[in-house]
Amino acid sequence: MFKLFTNMMKEEWRIHSTIFGSLSFALFPVMIFGIAFMGSFLLPLFRAVIPGGDLSTIIHALFLLLGIMVGAFGLIGQEAMNRRFGQASLLAYSARSLPISVQEIFCTFVVKDTVYYFILWVLPFVGGFAIASPFIGIPLSLPALLLLTLTLAFLSGLSVVFFLSTVYAHSKPALGVILALILIAGAGLYLFAGINIALFFPPLMLFYSFSWVTLAFTCAVILILSAVAVLLFTSEYTDTTRRYSSAMAPLAERLSFFPYPPLAAKDLIDLNRSGSFIGQTIFSFLIPLGLLWFLLSVLTRLLPPGGVFLLFAILTGVIASTMYTWITAFDSYNSYTCLPVSVRALLTSKICSFTVLQLIPVSLIIVVSLLSNGVAYLLPALVLCLSVSFFSLAVTVWLTGLSPSVLVYDAKVLVTYLFVLGIALIVLIALAFVNPNYALVSVLLYLPGWLFVRESYVKWEDQDQPIF
Amino acid sequence: MERSLGIIEAQGLFRQYGDVTAVDNVSLSVGKGELFGLLGPNGSGKTTMIKMLTGQIRPTGGSATVLGLDVEKDPIGVRERVGIIPEQETPPSFLTATEYLDFVGEVRHIEDVQKKADWWFDFLDFSDKRDVLCKDLSRGTRQKLMFTQAFLHKPVLALIDEPLINFDPIMQRKVKDYLAEYAKAGNTIFISTHILEIAEEICTGFAILHKGKLLHTGTVAELKRRDQHLDDFFLSLVQKDGHV
Repeated sequence: MFKLFTNMMKEEWRIHSTIFGSLSFALFPVMIFGIAFMGSFLLPLFRAVIPGGDLSTIIHALFLLLGIMVGAFGLIGQEAMNRRFGQASLLAYSARSLPISVQEIFCTFVVKDTVYYFILWVLPFVGGFAIASPFIGIPLSLPALLLLTLTLAFLSGLSVVFFLSTVYAHSKPALGVILALILIAGAGLYLFAGINIALFFPPLMLFYSFSWVTLAFTCAVILILSAVAVLLFTSEYTDTTRRYSSAMAPLAERLSFFPYPPLAAKDLIDLNRSGSFIGQTIFSFLIPLGLLWFLLSVLTRLLPPGGVFLLFAILTGVIASTMYTWITAFDSYNSYTCLPVSVRALLTSKICSFTVLQLIPVSLIIVVSLLSNGVAYLLPALVLCLSVSFFSLAVTVWLTGLSPSVLVYDAKVLVTYLFVLGIALIVLIALAFVNPNYALVSVLLYLPGWLFVRESYVKWEDQDQPIF
Repeated sequence: MERSLGIIEAQGLFRQYGDVTAVDNVSLSVGKGELFGLLGPNGSGKTTMIKMLTGQIRPTGGSATVLGLDVEKDPIGVRERVGIIPEQETPPSFLTATEYLDFVGEVRHIEDVQKKADWWFDFLDFSDKRDVLCKDLSRGTRQKLMFTQAFLHKPVLALIDEPLINFDPIMQRKVKDYLAEYAKAGNTIFISTHILEIAEEICTGFAILHKGKLLHTGTVAELKRRDQHLDDFFLSLVQKDGHV
């Protein structure tokens, strides 16, 4: 098993380093380290605005989200084995032909993901903070505690998604019931008792008040969820043959107003049949945003009226822009190389499909405005959300073309993305806080967005597409 | 505008992947009605040649025209006119076989696509798989599907990378006969393969590629006249070129 683990680690590294180049990928944790190190010196400034407790809540939430996203990547519903153990994960795929149980492979895979992303994200982040600590008067015990609690936050996200995806694979209604219970309990506590359930997040409880009992409890939760996921893991459904009556021609006809109807129809069929439409909406959109809402709600007293809702709209826009990965995840460029389809046509079509998907964030913003008495801010919130989403999409397309999922770990690409988007977001947040109606100015983002897309056409037409 | 030269004209084609030279200064010409085989051991540059000739990747040097179109300047124009079967069959995972052919029909603006698809389903004997998702199809059936998409618009030129590798012997016979007939009707077929029996049986012209370099171009008829087998000729050439 250890041999399998070490080889899986090598394989993961080689896949990434082959795609981005060893140096570029090796720089990724260095970049995280640098951001954490430099960000630490801003802590005194942050503390003047945000209480330290809220800041640590946000950081733990980010690592919880990271765990959820790493876990969700490839572990949604019926595509779990195909996507993770498909042609890209050659070792895990070939290991299935060896005398090793699926549980053992999956268990090793979970451990590998844990260690790999711990080294890639958690360690550099805490390392940067730890090195900066003596300079900003923070005792070294705090980074040590943070290393423990952030690791546990990351593992919590990972184990929750592994658990939920296993439940999903066995019974979709069971998953629905579990999620409904969690949502009802969370919303009930928040709305009727005014209790923020974020404060009951075990790693956060541990951070605020360390005790061996809490540590044991936190570890037990993670281990139980992971153990259930590993024990119940099944790959049997991958062998089933699915049959469908033809939807392409009628759908393409219905989408005839799109510039490339068959490409748009294919996107919608892919999303529906891969389980992504429901799976991604729940795991990569609603759950992260639900958590964000609870976390942002602690800032209510610090921000101007409507501030939390508008900030939420901006972050919804950022997360909504990742829907571009939903419509490119199942689309290998190989499928098009034998057809007269240009990269420009594909990019245009993807942007159109992305536009249709923006109905999801729009609906969410409307629902949140109703639930949070924020209807007065609905218009600026919608404009903010969509402008940020399309601008972020344009930057993503410009930087990554048709391969947003795999290129996101290129340090140069990520820094450029964060820099370009960061500038726009800071300006918009400031404007929205001064006066909610100033947020309407965000429509101006469509202009640079359009320029980025236009530039993308030239850039990606001019080079061979990466074929994975 | 189509030139009166060969259907495929390559001049000094060159392609590098990093430090590796996959195709090194290859020039060849394929005429109308030929069934041309590009032969070579694994890793000799055959797939890279097909990818360059179909505008899937750009040459690092040299030039090529296909049906009179410059593959670098107008790759989409080339792909509009030709049929292509890539080395690894890759129909989209979540479309059924029928839907994929509908998709190809829409992209290529093919009239009456269902009727044409039905003929191919019957001919290649996979009608019972027409409503199965491509990801659930066997390798052989996927290749049948890729074969169908390449010929659905009756291209005057088809470029096929390893055409028979996943077919059973019965299907191989059927496909070989089809290709020979298709070429006899005045169309051009360009296949790349390392299975020499296929080339010897159905090809009219051939070229031998080794380590990215062109070692020989000729016709099967010439070899027959010299009472020489293609596999002997091939082995002697590549061994002389340092193949162990």
